[in-house]
This record gives sequence, structure tokens and C-alpha cells, in this order.
Amino acid sequence: MPDNNSRNSTGDKDGRSEGSRNLETDGGVAGQHGQAHRNTDYLSQEVNLLKPSTPFMRDHLRIVWTGFAIWVLAVWGPVTLTYLATDAMTTQMPVLGFPLHYFLVAFGAPTSALILSFWYSRKRDALDEKYGIDHATVETTERGGGATAADGGADE
Amino acid sequence: MTGIPPVPLQESLLPESLDISFKLLPAILVVSMLGLFLAIGFVFRVADTENMWVAGRSIGNVENGMAIGANWMSAASYLGMAASIALAGFYGLVYVVGWTTGYFILLIFMAAQLRRFGKYTAPDFVGDRFNSDGARAIAAITTFLIGFVYAIGQAKGMALVGLYIFGDYGGLIPGLDGYQVMVVAMMIITVGYLTLSGMLGATKNQAVQYTILIIAFVAGLYAVGWTQGYSTVLPQLEYGMLIDSLGSEFSEPFATSSYYLWVATTFSLIVGTCGLPHVLVRFYTVESERTARWSTVWGLFFICILYWSAPAFAAFGTSLYSENVRATYGDPGMASAASEVIVVLAAQLAELPQWFVGLVAAGGIAAAIATIAGLFIAGSSAISHDIYTNIINEDATQRQQILVGRLSIVALGALTTLAALDPASSIAALVGYAFALAGSVLFPMFFLGMWWENANREGALAGMTTGLVMWSIPMINEIVPTYMSSLEAPLSAGLAQWMPAIGSALITLPVVFIVTIAVSLVTDEPDMETKRVVRQCHSPEPMRQQQTAEDVVTDGGETPADD
Repeated sequence: MPDNNSRNSTGDKDGRSEGSRNLETDGGVAGQHGQAHRNTDYLSQEVNLLKPSTPFMRDHLRIVWTGFAIWVLAVWGPVTLTYLATDAMTTQMPVLGFPLHYFLVAFGAPTSALILSFWYSRKRDALDEKYGIDHATVETTERGGGATAADGGADE
Repeated sequence: MTGIPPVPLQESLLPESLDISFKLLPAILVVSMLGLFLAIGFVFRVADTENMWVAGRSIGNVENGMAIGANWMSAASYLGMAASIALAGFYGLVYVVGWTTGYFILLIFMAAQLRRFGKYTAPDFVGDRFNSDGARAIAAITTFLIGFVYAIGQAKGMALVGLYIFGDYGGLIPGLDGYQVMVVAMMIITVGYLTLSGMLGATKNQAVQYTILIIAFVAGLYAVGWTQGYSTVLPQLEYGMLIDSLGSEFSEPFATSSYYLWVATTFSLIVGTCGLPHVLVRFYTVESERTARWSTVWGLFFICILYWSAPAFAAFGTSLYSENVRATYGDPGMASAASEVIVVLAAQLAELPQWFVGLVAAGGIAAAIATIAGLFIAGSSAISHDIYTNIINEDATQRQQILVGRLSIVALGALTTLAALDPASSIAALVGYAFALAGSVLFPMFFLGMWWENANREGALAGMTTGLVMWSIPMINEIVPTYMSSLEAPLSAGLAQWMPAIGSALITLPVVFIVTIAVSLVTDEPDMETKRVVRQCHSPEPMRQQQTAEDVVTDGGETPADD
């Protein structure tokens, strides 16, 4: 995990470096999907979790549901197995000494969620790349003063 | 340990076998820590609402990750979780699972979309998405209620730890015992710093608080494991070797709870995670949606460091308690007040130097203060921003808004202090009730509102009302009677079994979903502008830092939209 995270931190501290990476790698592959992205008016496509309406949403939801299914197994699988096959699940593990069910719950579940989260964020970044979406080109507006007033006004 | 001084047991809330006395070095440690928080809060003190509520949307990846971690890891994580694992065995692990894995759901379904929506508070989302001040008000009241219920557990944790450091001042305030005096003192300090600093100060502080609490917790664990010969380099895995010797109560599945209760509690904690206003608002404070995603991964990593360690701490503490005090399980067993401070107790029983035990205790205070900060900011913004500014006085000046915000922090603090004087449950359970509430009322609104554009105002109102009512049923059944001497809790044992207060979202959530969807289907669809805002939240097109989905939909972003 640590090496993965550190790789990330460098990309994240400066969104721009991530951007230039995008430009180098998406090359020809992005073409078709990038085209689809540019031709999509996202504000006229329905949002429905069960019926994705854009190519991007379809790809995104495929990742989301895959991750979700694995997550359900990681969270409630061990405890359900423990309920169904108590003897097998409570046997002591070699080396670590844990009863299996205890290890899968106390260590396995949180760790799976962390790995899945990392996997998802990587996938989602790759999806941006595939569709030629570049977060770095968006100019950063001034903080504070003017923006505060405008936003504040919008809300009142 | 032979050297435990006899502690007079005036009140059941004083944890026995914890060395309660004034200790100079730990006291200096805690006072300078609190001084540091105040100084940081003062340096980053705020005078405008943008900074007060969303920290100027300026927070980056790792910093937000740490803030997510500190915001998240409360006295319930720091003290309550190890306590539950020690006393409730395998069932105690529901907190480890429920309070970590929920972040994945938050990440895949909500984090980036919330950043794109980009408002100020959780009730803002509900009010604007469903175009209803009624829905906004229900969400704001829920937010306030969550802050209140949740903070009771924090106040309890701070007071217990404060007893170790500052000693027993029972009677200093007439009629209050040592624990209660400590509740009052700790809450005054917390509220004082919060009213000064607001969200920006709180966020800056949370990164510092995370560092303190995680170092204290992990160092404590390593020191206990090392000096007692339990572990060497990786206590988070090495405690496995110890489990067999702790007695079957520690690891036997479903010994203290049913499979159903296990599933219901984890479910409730998971959906609660995804509906807690002070968690959701962290995604409004970041620079971009990509930061929203990656800071969730960082946040979960930071959280996991503590959650991998807590069961190990519980195992060490249980073992030390059994060796030095008396058998942990059986009769009389470990008292619940002692289990609540098992992290500090373990360090004390391992005969670590006093200043070091003080450090471990200080981490508990940092954890509690950081979470109360997040909760009270969310709760006070619900009152000041969502109810006062949006509903009562639409022309409120920034000065007025901040004044109302500060007053509501004080009100929340006073309410919490009163309730914490005689808390009804363990720290972790108290916090669990707040999760059930968030999972019953707010999570369905965020989830459906974000992922189904046809969810409408009538659906939201019906769904939230259903959620609130259904959440109160097990609370009235199990918790309210403990505050009334004439009643015995629970009122109905059957209800407590199938709809436990701590896991009630397993029942309420599906019902709220069905009600919301059904009512939305039989009433008019929301207007096109609302649908376009939802679509904008899912569009992969990048947005500018200060832009909200509404700005984009109404073109340009600089024109104020009225709704």
C-alpha cells in the first residue's frame, strides 16, 4: 500500500503534472471515446442509476457495480460463512494464530475497502484519460473576495 | 499490577482501576495541546461564511484526507471501539467494519458528485435538490440532532480521560461528581475554541489533531506490545497469537449477539457513514472532484491505521486486565467504565511512564475535540445557514449569520453537556444511534437525489418524515426509558430484537427508499432545471473551483440564481 499511495501523492499535489501525463499517454486511443465525450450534452441525458444514458456513465457504472459486488462479499461474506460453517471458519490460522473468521473481519474487511477505493480511483482516472477529460486545463479562479460574494448571493 | 492505588468508587461512572489523580506532566501535555488548538483556531479565525462553512474550498488531497480521518476518528474510535471489542468480543468488530468500509460506498456513489453539487451544508443539498424549505428544515433538524446525539459519546470519552489526567474534582460544582465536573470543563474548552475558529480553523486543526491522535494511539500500542512482550514490529497482526489465551468470549462468533444483530449493526453504521452531515461536508471543502475522490482514499488509509490497531489494543488491554486486576469475563468481570478507558488503562497497567500514558490519554481528547468540531460546525451551519438565513431571515448579513452560527454552537454545547452528565449507553453505542439516524433520514435523500433525477419534493418529504419517525421508535423503546427511573428498558423486547436502536437502519432504510420512490412516482416530476443540476453532478466535464452545479446549469456561474 505505501508505495501506491506515495505514487499518488506526487500526482495529486500538483494536478498539472497529472495533466501532462494524460496528454502523453492518451494518444490515439482516446480518439473515439474523446469524440463521444465531445458529442455528448450531459445536461440533456437522464441520470438513472439503473439505466446509464451516456457512454461515459455506462463505463463508469460498470466499474462502480464491479467494486460494489466485491465490497458486499468482503463485508458480509466472512460473517455469513461464519454463521453457516462455524467450525470451519473458527479454525486457527497457521503462523498468524488468528481464528480465521476474526482475521477476515477485523483485518480483511477494512483492508478490502481500502484496496477497492484505491482501485476505483485509479479506474476513474483512467476513464477520464480514455475520454480525453483533462482536469488540469480548468483555470483556477480567484479565491475569497469576489467569489464569496457571488456564491453567497446565489444562496440567499 | 500491584501498585494500583485504591480508588474510592463514589460513582459508577468513575472507571475503577484507572489511576485517577492530578498528574503534572500529562496535565502540561494536555493544556499545551489545547493551547495549540486555540492558537491555530485563532490564526485561522474567520469572519465570512465561505470560510466558516467550507474553508474557502481550498483544501487539498492529503490535508483533506487527514481532516477526514480526524473528523471521523472520535472518542468512539479511540476509546469506544477497543472497549466494545474487549467486552463484546466478536460483536465489537462491527464498529471496525462499519466505520471503515462505508467510505467505499461514499467514494463510488457520492464523493465527486457532492463536490460538483458544491453547496455549503448537507441540508443545502436536500433543500436545493428537492426545492423545498420543508425538506431543508427536516434535514437541518436531523443534522442538529445527529450532532447532539453523537457528541454525547465524545463528551463522555473526554471526561473519562480527563479524570486520569486532572484527577477527581467531585463537588467542585455543587451536586456534580468528578466525572460530571470533567464533562463541563471539557465542553467549555471545546465550545470556546470552536466559536472562535469556524470551519477553516477546524480543518487546519483537524490535520494537527489527526497527527496527535494517531501518533498517541500507535505509539501507545507499540509500547504496550513491546514492553509486555506481546509484539515486536507489527502488533496489528501479532495480537493474533494472543487471541487463544484471552478466553473464548473474546473471539467466539455470536456469543454476545445474534448474526442478525451483527448484520443490522454493520449495515446501519455503513449507511450512516454515508449520510453523516459532517462527513459529507468534507467533500464541499476540497479543490476539485478529483481531490474529493483521492482524499477519500487517503482518508480511509489514515482511518485504517487506527482501525487495524484498535483490536490489538483491545487484546493487549484484556490480557493485562486479566493478569493484573481480575478476570475480564464472567462475574464480576471488567466493569464497563473500565473498558471505556481500556486504551489508557492498558498503557497504565503496562507500567509505562506517566507522561507517556498521558500522551495516550491526550490523543483521546484530541480525537474527541476534532470530531465535536466537525459535528458542531455541521449542526450550527444547519441552524444558521439552512434555517435562519434560508428560511427565517433571507436578508441576513454575514455578521448576523456568523453570530447565529456561534450561538448555535453554544446551544449544542450546553445540550450535549447536560445529556452527557448521565449518559445512557457506552460511547460507541451512543455514536451508533447517530449513525442509524443519518442512515435513516439523510443517506436515502442523498443517494436517491443524486442517482435518480425523478426523485421529487413530495417523495423527499414523505421519505424523511418516515425515516425520522421510524428511527425514534427503537430509541423510545430502548434509550428514553433509561433516563426515566420509573421505566425499564426496553419497553418491548421483541422490537429490540428485530429493530435494535443501534441497527435500525437495516429496517428503516428500505422503507424510506420505497416510500420516497413510490411518492415520487405518483406525484409530478421535478422541473427541468433540477434535473439538469443532477445531470451536471454526474457529467465528467471538469468544473472551476468555486463553481457549483447550479451555476453551470444557469449559465456562466456569476449570475445569482433564485429558487
